[in-house]
Amino acid sequence: MKTALRFLLIFLTLSFATQVAAAQNPTEQVKPFINRVVAELKDPSFRRDTVDNRIERIVTLVSEHFDFEEMSKRVVGRSWQTLSPAQQEQFAHLFAQLLGHVYIDKVDAYVEMKIEFGKERLAGSSRAEVKTMFVGPTKTIPVSYIMMLKGNKWMAYDVTVEGISLIRNYMEQFKGIAQDQLIPVLEKKMKELKADKKAKN
Amino acid sequence: MKRLSLHTALFFLLFIILAANVVRAEDIDILDDSFYEDSPKEEITPDPFEGFNRLMFTFNDVTYTWVMEPVASNYSEIIPEDIRQAADNFCYNLQEPVRFVNTLLQLRFADAGKVLTRFAINTIGGVGGLGDVAGREFGFKRVDAGLGETLEYWGVTDGFYLVVPLLGATTFRELFGTTVDGLSMTPYYFLANSWQEGAMIYTGRRVNSLSLHLGDYEGMKALTIDPYRALRDSYFQYRDQTRQHHARPSANDKL
Repeated sequence: MKTALRFLLIFLTLSFATQVAAAQNPTEQVKPFINRVVAELKDPSFRRDTVDNRIERIVTLVSEHFDFEEMSKRVVGRSWQTLSPAQQEQFAHLFAQLLGHVYIDKVDAYVEMKIEFGKERLAGSSRAEVKTMFVGPTKTIPVSYIMMLKGNKWMAYDVTVEGISLIRNYMEQFKGIAQDQLIPVLEKKMKELKADKKAKN
Repeated sequence: MKRLSLHTALFFLLFIILAANVVRAEDIDILDDSFYEDSPKEEITPDPFEGFNRLMFTFNDVTYTWVMEPVASNYSEIIPEDIRQAADNFCYNLQEPVRFVNTLLQLRFADAGKVLTRFAINTIGGVGGLGDVAGREFGFKRVDAGLGETLEYWGVTDGFYLVVPLLGATTFRELFGTTVDGLSMTPYYFLANSWQEGAMIYTGRRVNSLSLHLGDYEGMKALTIDPYRALRDSYFQYRDQTRQHHARPSANDKL
C-alpha cells in the first residue's frame, strides 16, 4: 500500500511537472534564449571566428526557438507542397543561413543595445506575439517574435522589426521567382553575401 | 491664396469622385495564418508602371549610394548627433499644425489634443521646437497624421504604387497628400523666396534626417532577393503599422 501510494505521489508530481512546463508562457521561454544569443554575439571568440563558422554557430543556437521550416513554408507559399522533402529541407537550411546573416550584419549595432521585454499577446492557446524593445542610446526599435506552441516549446516563425513582418517581406520577394529557381536563387544570394563579407574582413 | 484653396477644394472633389468604389482592407491579425496567405494591400494597389518604377528605384538607389549617403555621412561627422537631432525636432515641430488639422479631419480628437499640447510645450519649453521636451519629459510621444491618411480615412483608395525620384516609395494618393502637406501648409516653404531656396531647405532636411539613419538601407538591401519588391512591401507594411493608432507597440508596453 505504501509503495502504491509512493508511486501515485511520484506520478502526480511528474504529471504536474509536465503540466507546468506546458503552461510556461512564451516570454519565460524566450527571455533566457535571447540572453544566450546576445551573450554569444558578444563573445570575443565568436567575433574572431570565420564567416561560415559564425553563421553556423548562430543558426544552431537560434534553431532552439526559431522554426526555419515554418518560416520557409510561409515564404514560399503555395509552391511549398510541390517541393520534395529534400528540397524543402535544403530551402529551410539556406533560408536559416540568410537570416543568420541578419544577426552577423547587425551585431555591432545591436550589441550596444539593451533588450526590454514588453507585453505578450496570446491568440488561442498555441499562438503568441512576444514584444521586445531594442533600446539604444539614440533610438528604440520594436522587435516582436511571432510564435507557435510545438509540444512544450514556443517556436518563432516570424519576426517583426518596427512592425514589418520579415516573413511577409520575403514572401513578397519570392512571389516573382519560379518554383525551380527557389533554391538556386538562395544559393546565389548566400555566395554573394559570403564573398562580400570576406572582402570586407 | 484664394485661388490655391479653390484648387485644393477641386482636387478634393475629384478624389471623392475617384474613390467611388471604396475598398477598405480589413486588418488581419499577424497571429492568424491568413496573414501569410495573400497580401491585401499590394493586391488592391496595382503597380501598373512597374517598369518605370523599377527604373526610378535604380535611380534612387544610385543617387542614395553615390550622393545622399556620402553627403550625409560627411555631414554626420562634422555636425554632432544632438545638433542633428535638434534640427530634426525643429522641422518636425513646424509641421505640428499640419498634423493637428489632419488628426481633426480623421476625428482623432485625443490625438489632436496631444499634437496641440506637444506643439505648445515644445515651442515654449523646447526653445522653438529644438528639443522634444513634450516627448521626453511629459510622455507625449510623436503622433503621425497626414493628408494621405485623412484621405484613406474617408475612403479614398491608393490609386497605384509609384516610386518618385528622391522621395521614394509612395502611391498616387499619398504623393498628393505629401505634396499638399509639404508645400502649401508647411510654414518654412513660405519663408523661402524662390523655388531654389525651397529645394535647398527640402534637401537639407532630407540629408539631416538621413544622417540619423545611416546604414539602415544598405543593411536591408544586402539581405534581399528582390530589393524592389522588398521596398514595396516594406512601404505598405510600415505605413499600415504607423496608422494603427490604437495597437501600436510602444516603449510603454512593459509587463
